[in-house]
Amino acid sequence: MFQKVLIANRGEIALRILRACRDMGIRSVAVHSTADASAMHVRLADESICIGPAAASESYLNPVAILSAATISNADAIHPGYGFLSENAKFAAMVEEHGITFIGPSPEHIRLMGDKVAAKRFCRHANIPVVPGSDGPITGEAEARAIAAEIGYPVLVKASAGGGGRGMKVVHDPDGLGQAMEFACAEATSAFGNGELYLEKYLARPRHIEVQVLADLHGAVIHLGERDCSMQRRHQKILEEAPSPALGEEERKAVCASAVRVATALAYRSVGTVEFLYADGAFYFIEMNTRLQVEHPVTEMVCEVDLVREMIRVASGAALGYCQDDVRTSGHAIECRINAEDPVTFIPMPGRIGDYHPPGGPGVRVDSALYSSYSVPPYYDSMIAKLIVHGPTREVCMMRLRRALAEYVIDGIATTIPLHLRVLDAPDFRAGAYHVHWLEKFVGEGQSGTVPVATD
Amino acid sequence: MTVTKAKTDFDADLVRELADLLSETGLSEIEYASGDLRVRVARVLQPAAVHGPVVGGAGAASALPATAAGGPVREADALLDHPGLLTSPMVGVVYTGSDPATPPFVKVGDAVEAGTTLLLIEAMKVFNPIKAPRAGVVTRILVSNGVPVEYGEPLLILE
Repeated sequence: MFQKVLIANRGEIALRILRACRDMGIRSVAVHSTADASAMHVRLADESICIGPAAASESYLNPVAILSAATISNADAIHPGYGFLSENAKFAAMVEEHGITFIGPSPEHIRLMGDKVAAKRFCRHANIPVVPGSDGPITGEAEARAIAAEIGYPVLVKASAGGGGRGMKVVHDPDGLGQAMEFACAEATSAFGNGELYLEKYLARPRHIEVQVLADLHGAVIHLGERDCSMQRRHQKILEEAPSPALGEEERKAVCASAVRVATALAYRSVGTVEFLYADGAFYFIEMNTRLQVEHPVTEMVCEVDLVREMIRVASGAALGYCQDDVRTSGHAIECRINAEDPVTFIPMPGRIGDYHPPGGPGVRVDSALYSSYSVPPYYDSMIAKLIVHGPTREVCMMRLRRALAEYVIDGIATTIPLHLRVLDAPDFRAGAYHVHWLEKFVGEGQSGTVPVATD
Repeated sequence: MTVTKAKTDFDADLVRELADLLSETGLSEIEYASGDLRVRVARVLQPAAVHGPVVGGAGAASALPATAAGGPVREADALLDHPGLLTSPMVGVVYTGSDPATPPFVKVGDAVEAGTTLLLIEAMKVFNPIKAPRAGVVTRILVSNGVPVEYGEPLLILE
């Protein structure tokens, strides 16, 4: 087992990884920018090293600074968390070249699945259905028009290197295609340094269903059930739940088996998430995330497993030690992402936290690096807390979620807690009848004043 | 940097001059008044990026976990305000000379030209020279050969 793990991240996920390390008796090294000198992961770590100025490009995204920190602190492994360098194949390779273990998949898997076109091609070959679209990158508008005519409008123009909704445009008719391609290409070039595009059929009301997989270095692959992440705004997940209220046992079995097939075909290792769109009874592979995900606690709550611990354990070479039949799920879990944003306009609202009181009681878990008098810096992601609630049934889970949201005090800044309370009251949500475009319509209604805003 | 003024005939040059003076002297605030005109320029001094030894550690967390600070930081705090302070531009290992056999690049009391190599910082097997940003005299060297440094850690004072 590792003696010392360097955590190449910040915020709640740095703290989450630190906690797993401490539970396993592993020493932790926090790295931080000057803006995070008093962050909770820095306060709690066994050692901490300032690696650069506030700008992420010069600190959390700086491979040399992080490797240098790992070297001077004698860390024998690096956990990348999510975001930042977690899906950077070059970084993963650099870490291994320096004789340090990268706690995650191999650089080859990161590279393959990071290229959305190559990932789809791989899955097609493994007989996993993908969303109809271009077989590979599209070279020009004429080719795009021909493919769009074949699969039918509306279509989605997507960037091969894309993610988080950037480099993605919906096109409803042939006239809009050229301009959408220009926009998507420009956006992807500036965000990812790669303007390559591909085309996909746009599904009107799909659900986002993803399956958690876990594999060791010795070929054992299991799944830990699905998560439903259909509650999204601008392709950003807002709330996740497991199991999906939209699936029956047959569908669940089918999608989980598909995910295991993808991971097995890859000879994958570590944790990963295989994402599908679900529409009209069919699943279509969209992408695989080769990292720990924000919403992993939802799975942890229903499977009673510590995914970060498992990730560290298998990275050290340990065998999984159990098989698919040993995995049991129980009850229902929902996670609310709480962002430092105005709950109506979604404008980021960094600032100083006054009083802070996280909720508790049966079935409640809070993953957050907040504390009273902490200042949320303006340089990074606006997500400041995750509230995860478990209950024996979805009904009980929703009741507990309402209680916990109402208890949660984050004074001094605006947060998305009021939005979650409104969603929780929506009949569509209560019935489990929502899809990936539902929330955008719902908040559109809210702004015109037709949906009442819950107060507490 | 905040600027308050009493009159409407805004004198940008004056403010700029005061602001320059502010950085030059390392002060946090200057108030200037002449007749009806009153100008105050102020800034928040860069907080201490580093306290105490580099690979320090908070150890056991108290009620609210303390920062990695808490040790003998008085002197470091005073030095951080020094206008001649040079801080590390990267995390790495500092070297005072090109190899252990040769004398250090500089010692206390040396007068140096702008561009003179003062120290080396090794990050991932690349040696990065830390050069004098201006001519001056080395009055303090705050690091010793072979020690790890964080980003922003005080290296030496050039006056």
